[in-house]
Amino acid sequence: MRRRTQTQQGFTYSLSAILFRLFGLAVIDAFALWILPQMIHDRVWYLVVLLVVITLGINIIFLKEEYYPLRWMSPGLALMILMVVYPLVFTVYTAFTNYSDGHILTKQQVIQVLSQRLYLPEGGESYRWTAYRSEDGRYALWLVAPDGRTFVAFPGEPIQPADPGQGDIGPADEQGTPTHIRDLRRLDRIQVIRYLPDLEKLEFGTPPHVLKIRSLDEAAALQPRYVYDPQQDAIVDQQTGKVYRADDRRGSFVAEDGEALTPGYQVFIGAANFQRLFRSPALRGPFLKVFLWTILFAAGTVLTTFALGLFLALVYNDPSIRGRKVIRSFLIVPYTVPSFISILVWRGLMNPHIGVINTTLEKFIGWAPPWFSSPTWAKIGVLLVNLWLGYPYMMLISTGALQAIPEDLYEAAEIDGAGMWQKFWTITLPLLLVSVGPLLISSFAFNFNNWNVIYLFNRGGPPMPGTPTPVGHTDILVTYTYRLAFASGGGGDYGYASAITIIIFLIVATITYFQFRYTRMWEEISENV
Amino acid sequence: MKQRHIWTLLVILVVASLLVTACAKATPTPTPTPVPPTPTPKPPTPTPVPPTPTPQPPAAKLVIWADENRAPIMEEIAKAFTEKYGVEVEVQQVGFGDIRDQFKVAAPAGEGPDIIIGAHDWLGELVVNGLLAPVDLGAKKEKFLPSALQAFTYNSQLYGMPYLTENVAFFYNPDLVPEAPKTWTEVTKVAAELEKAGKVKQGYVLHQGDPYHFYPIMTAFGGYVFGKDKDGNYNPQDLGIDSPGSIAAAKWLDMMVKEGHLKPDVDWDTAHTMFEQGDAAMIITGPWALKRIRESGVHYKIAEIPDETADGHPFSGVHGFMISAFSENKLLAQTFLTEFVATEENMWKLFNADPRPSAFLPVREKIDDPDIAAFGLAGKNADPMPAIPEMSKVWEAWGNAITLIFQQQEDPETAFKNAAEQIRQAIAGGQ
Repeated sequence: MRRRTQTQQGFTYSLSAILFRLFGLAVIDAFALWILPQMIHDRVWYLVVLLVVITLGINIIFLKEEYYPLRWMSPGLALMILMVVYPLVFTVYTAFTNYSDGHILTKQQVIQVLSQRLYLPEGGESYRWTAYRSEDGRYALWLVAPDGRTFVAFPGEPIQPADPGQGDIGPADEQGTPTHIRDLRRLDRIQVIRYLPDLEKLEFGTPPHVLKIRSLDEAAALQPRYVYDPQQDAIVDQQTGKVYRADDRRGSFVAEDGEALTPGYQVFIGAANFQRLFRSPALRGPFLKVFLWTILFAAGTVLTTFALGLFLALVYNDPSIRGRKVIRSFLIVPYTVPSFISILVWRGLMNPHIGVINTTLEKFIGWAPPWFSSPTWAKIGVLLVNLWLGYPYMMLISTGALQAIPEDLYEAAEIDGAGMWQKFWTITLPLLLVSVGPLLISSFAFNFNNWNVIYLFNRGGPPMPGTPTPVGHTDILVTYTYRLAFASGGGGDYGYASAITIIIFLIVATITYFQFRYTRMWEEISENV
Repeated sequence: MKQRHIWTLLVILVVASLLVTACAKATPTPTPTPVPPTPTPKPPTPTPVPPTPTPQPPAAKLVIWADENRAPIMEEIAKAFTEKYGVEVEVQQVGFGDIRDQFKVAAPAGEGPDIIIGAHDWLGELVVNGLLAPVDLGAKKEKFLPSALQAFTYNSQLYGMPYLTENVAFFYNPDLVPEAPKTWTEVTKVAAELEKAGKVKQGYVLHQGDPYHFYPIMTAFGGYVFGKDKDGNYNPQDLGIDSPGSIAAAKWLDMMVKEGHLKPDVDWDTAHTMFEQGDAAMIITGPWALKRIRESGVHYKIAEIPDETADGHPFSGVHGFMISAFSENKLLAQTFLTEFVATEENMWKLFNADPRPSAFLPVREKIDDPDIAAFGLAGKNADPMPAIPEMSKVWEAWGNAITLIFQQQEDPETAFKNAAEQIRQAIAGGQ
């Protein structure tokens, strides 16, 4: 305590430190101020709020002496807000929206997309065109109607009938097209393409007679087909006169007869995603089976990996084994290979036709487990692969925790005449679980949602027959969610997927809570040792 | 003292990096449009210099997303376009499997490309989300394969310029099967004879649970996935997975497995290896496997899909160029495609980069590779893979039904009827 006060004083009153701190803050604030307008311009409001909160927080923490201890934590806090809290909030928010295929744009974007759709009204003229451009970037069009009449059109000026060589229009060439109009020179095909970005945005003529370029050959009196009317919050189809009113509960513009315009837009739909989940036949059908297997899978993985990891840690903890460091290093290898590669390798090894494991077994005992077609063997296969992936982690943490158990406990036990097993059950395991227990729980929570292993190994297969939605025998809740929301559900139903995610989170959180209470038991035991 | 500075610096770095990530998400500020040159007083030179068109820096730029096969070629084409017209075109390489998903995120954020290169079955999803602009091919339309244009048509509107078509065909080993079987009953017979004689492990090989490679068999028995209306649009209300033809095909598959002519748990790779090593005599596969089959040195011939009670035909996939609804330069993008990419020279370049039947007729008609031509023949009656969003609900249930038959877990009729029920529920939105 005393030491900290000293250092605090030493730092606080150093002038260069204060200047450095102020300079640092100035840089951060300047950066924030520079980027804020851009973010506001892009309407990314969540990020705007987040940035303001983080920047203000940093300023307060670094300027107010009483928040001194927080300075140490501020990088972590800033990262946590951005990388953990923000995605969480966003997931919860998404769960209450209809964000899915067909509803990924905002209402404004939908209006923008729709109002870009053009059509040629009945009786609307279309012309062949030649473009002219002045040196300072003004444009004009020479138009030829289907019946051969010719016109000149400028943006914002009425379209005039005109003939080559007449007035300020240049003489015609062999094709009958004037060489220049006023001070504007004719563009050849190459130049037209160069200036197309300008030309395609221009409207020639004055309303109501306005022409737009439709293609390299054709300019036409195109009209926007859909016009947004803010007064009745509706989109009017100019071609048919049909009115599509905004339905903000559905997130679509809908006509009287129920026809909806695509695309729809994102809206807040309350608990509809949750209602849909609870009413879905997916819950009535195989859900319980999937849920039980998920728990079995997660618990089984933790148990088997911990048992093997602890066994290896104990064996190689014995100093009398030669080369144990080398062996230990080799045993950690599965932990260092990216799991998505090793899972695929295992999938190949266990292939019933060409896999090394199966062909070898076939050769020697004449039978090999049907890893991919039998529900039971598929489950065992997944557990075996996950055992291979997971034991090095357990071995590492057990090795570390073993060092922390005092030698004299064992000596005392030996004097009391305890055997090897007795020492293990009464000293090693309880003391180990005190430090390793929380890690086991986090391993359980991790495997509860271990999408990689299931999906890459056999995609949840083999399929269960006769279910209301497609599901496999080794599907766990996450892969099942994935099937529901993305694979069979309809391309990308993000709102629904977020709702299921929240439910899964609640399940995992409940289980974890009880597990933590349970592990307190071990602490009591360790106190008595 | 020192430690303190490090901490402060760390804070700055962390916050700066956070802001940079945030910045990367924000749209780049539009580059200021070149200010029109202010009219400067003319210098009193005696001879009036004719106003030469000053080469202005290009104001617009086209961005194209292409996969690793297409990107180098597009790069070349883009460079030539820039040289000729002075419009900058940037080609960004994005994995084929990622283009659709990334486009869905990037386009509404205003950061997407102007043009993407993709497959026609993305159409439904992208159009429903309002991300694609219609394409007008103008006079060039006649130079494209009509069925490829049909594949890129959604709600009677063309949304893409096709450049290649692909479909599976029937491969057989002429050393083992002298003549291509005409019907699936014949395939069964030939397979049984070959297996009995011990010449092969499996006469005909099909990997487990893949609807795409099962579809040609299903159509041969008169089955279908979605019925079509009179304009050739797929009708999501008319699901044919449990139609009598589809069930007949499922029963044939069941018989093949029961009699040991087809084995469960064969995957795509194993099936191809068997064919390449002469352990299997017949297989259905696509142009993507051509390279490995050629390299294996096995003798092969490519034929049309055998028929049974109806004409057996595969799904066809069409790849093409699509224009973003959020592009600032749609007409320029369209002009780039119709005027520059849709030429014989550049279409040949695209063909050579990835030899599959071209959708551009002047190239398609001159392909002298007999295998590619055979694929074209096998695909002459092909159904375009349905691009309607409902199709995404079909694959999994349908594939599971086929797997269940392979693994003999369910009888074929129940499996296909249940799959159809699952799909109908998913389409109805009940799940």
